[in-house]
Amino acid sequence: MFRKRKRNRQQTENVQAAPPSMEELKQVRLNGDLEKAVELIRGVLGMNDDFTVRRFQAFGKYPAAMFFYPNMIDMSTLNSEILKPLMYGPPHADVIPDGGDKLRDFLLSETLYHSDIRSEELVSKTIGDILRGQTAVVIEGVEGAILFGTRTIDKRGIDQPATEQVIRGPREGFIELLSTNISLIRYRLQTPDLRVKTMDIGRRTQSKVAVCSMEGITNPDLVAEVVRRLEQIDVDAILDSGYLEQYIEDNQMSPFPQVQYTERPDKVVANLLEGRVAIIVDGSPLALVVPTVFSQFYQTVEDYTERFLMMSAIRWARLVALVFSLVFPSLYVAIISFNPELIPTEFAVAVAGGRAGVPFPAIIEVLVIEVSMEVLREATIRLPQQVGGALSIVGVLVVGQAAVAAGFASPITVVIIALTTIGSFATPAYNAALALRLLRFPLIVLAGIFGLYGVMIGLILIANHLLSLRSFGVPYLSPLVPGVLNGMKDLFVRGPLWWMKARPKLLFPGDSSRIGAQMVEDLKAPPNNVLDPKKQNDGREEN
Amino acid sequence: MLSALLVPLLTGCWDRLELEERAVVLGISVDTADKSTAKREDEITHTADGFPVPEVNMIRVTVQIALPGRIPLGPGESGGGGKGRSSETVWVVGGEGHTMDDAIMNLQQQISGRIFFGHLRVIVVSEAVAKTGMQNINDYFRRNPEVRRMAWMMISKGNAERLMRASPELERVPALYLMSTMDNAVKLGKFPENYVGMFWSNSAKKGQEGYLPYVELKKEQNIEVKGMAYFKNDKMLGATKPFQVAAYMSIKGMNPAGYRGVVKLEGHENMVMVYATSRRSSFKVRVENGELVFTVSIFTEINLEEKINEQFSVNDSAALEDIEQRNKQALRTTCESLIEEMQQKGSDIFGFGEYARAKKPGYWNKNVGTKSQWQSMFKEARFEIKVDSRIRRIGMKAK
Amino acid sequence: MENQREITTIQAGAILSSTIIGVGVLPIPLFAVRGADSGAPLVTVCGVLFAFLGLFLITRLGMRFPDRSITQYGEEIIGKWLSRLGSAAVIGFFAVLTSLAAREFGEVVITSVLTKTPLEVTVIVMLTLAAISTRNNITTFAYIHQFYFPLLIGPALLIVALSLKNAEAINLQPIWGNSHEGMLASVLTIAALFQGSFIITTVIPAMRRPQTAMKASVFALLISGGLYVTIVAATVSVFGSEETKNLLWPTLELAKATSLPANILERLDAAFLAVWVTAVFTTLNSSYFLAVKEMSKLFRLKDHKLFTFFLLPAVFSMAMVPRNILNMYEIIQNVSRIGLFVTVVYPGLLLVVSVLRKKRGETSEKRSAT
Repeated sequence: MFRKRKRNRQQTENVQAAPPSMEELKQVRLNGDLEKAVELIRGVLGMNDDFTVRRFQAFGKYPAAMFFYPNMIDMSTLNSEILKPLMYGPPHADVIPDGGDKLRDFLLSETLYHSDIRSEELVSKTIGDILRGQTAVVIEGVEGAILFGTRTIDKRGIDQPATEQVIRGPREGFIELLSTNISLIRYRLQTPDLRVKTMDIGRRTQSKVAVCSMEGITNPDLVAEVVRRLEQIDVDAILDSGYLEQYIEDNQMSPFPQVQYTERPDKVVANLLEGRVAIIVDGSPLALVVPTVFSQFYQTVEDYTERFLMMSAIRWARLVALVFSLVFPSLYVAIISFNPELIPTEFAVAVAGGRAGVPFPAIIEVLVIEVSMEVLREATIRLPQQVGGALSIVGVLVVGQAAVAAGFASPITVVIIALTTIGSFATPAYNAALALRLLRFPLIVLAGIFGLYGVMIGLILIANHLLSLRSFGVPYLSPLVPGVLNGMKDLFVRGPLWWMKARPKLLFPGDSSRIGAQMVEDLKAPPNNVLDPKKQNDGREEN
Repeated sequence: MLSALLVPLLTGCWDRLELEERAVVLGISVDTADKSTAKREDEITHTADGFPVPEVNMIRVTVQIALPGRIPLGPGESGGGGKGRSSETVWVVGGEGHTMDDAIMNLQQQISGRIFFGHLRVIVVSEAVAKTGMQNINDYFRRNPEVRRMAWMMISKGNAERLMRASPELERVPALYLMSTMDNAVKLGKFPENYVGMFWSNSAKKGQEGYLPYVELKKEQNIEVKGMAYFKNDKMLGATKPFQVAAYMSIKGMNPAGYRGVVKLEGHENMVMVYATSRRSSFKVRVENGELVFTVSIFTEINLEEKINEQFSVNDSAALEDIEQRNKQALRTTCESLIEEMQQKGSDIFGFGEYARAKKPGYWNKNVGTKSQWQSMFKEARFEIKVDSRIRRIGMKAK
Repeated sequence: MENQREITTIQAGAILSSTIIGVGVLPIPLFAVRGADSGAPLVTVCGVLFAFLGLFLITRLGMRFPDRSITQYGEEIIGKWLSRLGSAAVIGFFAVLTSLAAREFGEVVITSVLTKTPLEVTVIVMLTLAAISTRNNITTFAYIHQFYFPLLIGPALLIVALSLKNAEAINLQPIWGNSHEGMLASVLTIAALFQGSFIITTVIPAMRRPQTAMKASVFALLISGGLYVTIVAATVSVFGSEETKNLLWPTLELAKATSLPANILERLDAAFLAVWVTAVFTTLNSSYFLAVKEMSKLFRLKDHKLFTFFLLPAVFSMAMVPRNILNMYEIIQNVSRIGLFVTVVYPGLLLVVSVLRKKRGETSEKRSAT
């Protein structure tokens, strides 16, 4: 027992020598004393083996030290653009000032080559910047530290977006690095109106979050509200934009998402131009777009890059798939168990035959197969690439067929479930597809209890819920419900691009018109048949 | 709130009845039962005390139940097999009772699945039962929510049960065969579209009586439409001949038209067959001396189908006009005789009463007013029939 | 709750229409033919006109007091206690109306579709659904009705259009009908089907432009009345007036007798019932909302959420009062007669008194900012 106490005392002694916290250092300034600076900074960061302190003599006379994390910076920049000029001195200067402010100005404006430089006096900020991958240089006699923007982190190349692939449209997707993502947006919006506001969120992660909006288009109240909600977040970590989404959402209990996410810069730009706000988080390749309405969940980029007649038809197909994935199994249960008079006679008898050997009632059978389908889906996500593709097809066909042959399920049930699953894949937005997928189950249960009547009750409940949902104040089912006629042009069909002259009113944008009036007139003129043989031949004859 | 929604789950679903647990009845037939059945009847819906025995004759009800899976949809799947003869696709079983519901309850005692009328397509009633009165049958089917109004009800000459047991070669399921026969008759123009719903509507009207197809089972297990059974209120009075159905359809102007007739030309052996393709008719009614006079104008288009022999030729328009004239004459005679026959029996299956009620409401309200009044006044009404025919096609032959 | 003024004219019209089109859709041809045989469409038109009289009075009254609903301006016009009595009568009447409508709904369902489910269950499920939906504010209420409105009209018109191929014009003649014995009773019963339009008294205070309320009322009445007349005409033309008298729910039989072309779906009545469920839901939602909201205004409470579940047991027990279906229809007849008194005479009285006493409500411009 006595030994334990001694050991404990030793441990507490060790703990007492903990580094000063950032809180204590908040007001301490670097005053030109190099050794003190080194001691302070090393005190906070020195525990890490990947932290380096490099001492040298600036211009041969002034002792100086450089602090950095070598795995977060670009070493060649460090060597040639920071160390070299500091050691050699500029070729054109004869006299090097003595110290203090003059020396610092000399360094900043005449000596150092690097483009991203600033000076900082507070120790806490200096340490914060070193943690972000910048290099700090402290010189004896100079107040404050000089910080260089040397942050270079290995990143993956810009690749096709994994979740949203299109046939016609850009093949670039966001990556994890915030600066690259913003560059992808900027080069598409080469206008001074793009505003990017950044903030750091998360106590320990200090993740950089950028809020993008268009000056003159986005409603300023919306931007203010987004910023306000983000500033309210006071948590440990923001590891992905998904965390942010859950903190800023209007209604977290709803199965339907009120924030859209995307991996595509062109989608973000299109939404910005409509008057929405984009939120990008460092470390996450998915950007958030607010506010969101339900109709966005079945629109894809291809809808706008291809021609309108075909894409309207395809959009209809997508809507049908969406509805299918929600109601098909419950309709099947309702019709088979409660109202078989709805289907033609021969078909009814044949279905009865298929079900004759099955031991369970239709609802149990459907529920069991649905649940196994969900399990199968989860399994296919986790499998490695080579095996995954084969298993999904094999799983559906073979297992389904085997279940039928074993008498466990009837063939019709398998067909219905397969169609439902395929339908749910057709929904472009994964989070909405998820919502619908899971809402199927209560509907099936309701259908099993009350039949068609139960399905209607369930659908009414869902519809009522959708109607009461709002995303940053915009009704979720706009433009259908508040009945804005202009918005209907893009709702069920995709109207031709020259119809969509105004931005969506539901976002209350600043500048409303999108297409120049003259262009609409010009489009109405008959086509100019330049290479018409008659015209060309006449022209030649004249010559 | 949540518990209120969960409570139903705990107590179970009441109406859920799996498809394969139902006995899907496709066709039903009603006959009179022979006298001996009353004695050996089980006491299922009545006992000596409490619920007494109804004072009506006993009837025998036979149902045709589809066997699950035995009606293969595709070209013979693994479950169906065989030629799909009726003995394998349906199960015919019968029961007796005092009334419709009584008989069906007795039947239900014998069958494992619950009887389900949602797919009932054919109701066959024997002539004997129809002549005693169909109120009970009509009432039973009207109250049952599962029965569809698009089913066919027909009167059979003789025993109705044999129709349920018949297994014709052409169809897999006898009841569906009966239904297709009637549907095709409608399409071919041989019988008016007259589902049980329409029969009920017609019977209910003050100025009209209902009618039903009158069928007979033939040797090859197929059925033949032998005319129309006409009713007065709920009792069957008699049946017309098949050709009279054509007269009926002509009077009512029903399309498509499909009856063929023989037209005799000059000379005994010179006959042609003509075939009516479309009909139009219109009614007019006026009141003369307190009596109703109806004028029926009929127009038919006919095709020349065949010439019986080659002794004469049909190669000019005069010949065609001759045929038309004779056809008009023939049709007019047939229609007049049909109307007379109906007048004698007091059954206005044409709906002249309805027409009078609609067009001359003043007269109707004063002098008629009720259905029974019309039934007697119908006998006194006068009819004028005008027929016009035109030959449209003569086929590919020039003479 | 008081400050929301977002309902547009079209939304008001949609609310009125979807409220009116409800349980009455199924038996209306029966009521009509009882009055005048083949003159049933005409009887329906008369009923619509009579209903319009009532609606006109209410709308006019509401437009005089564009900021308040009947409980509130009643007090201004005829004094506190009298108007409290009147408002209590209104609330009570609508609570009873909700219960009877739910009961009728339950009867239809257990007779034609779910034959073994207990009546209580169907009724309580429907009432609970309505109660949950009334917890929203009035703007969401408007959205709900606007959303369901085309879903009601479309299928109804579709079924009518499809059934016309079995129609015979002669069934509709003579247009005046042959006998007129029960005509007044029928007209009153049909007019009573439109009583749900009283909801406009709650809607006007929340409308963006209350002056257009009259346009919305006319629009709603034209649509719902037109739909009713069409349904009656279609039913009678297909079945004939006599047969219609035999049917308890002729519209349902009409749907049963209709089939989609090419026989894709044979008996449309189950599908029709599914659509009808939404119609009944909107009606129940409306009358329940009216009762609850007016009650909250009577007790001067800001929020009506308190009453939504409080009223539920009362309404449910009232729904269970009739002993059987024919008893229920008799009670409905009597209640509707009383209702006409409440919904037509009482507002008429208020209107006359307000004109005589030159009382008008202030519009929001005159009021100072709250």
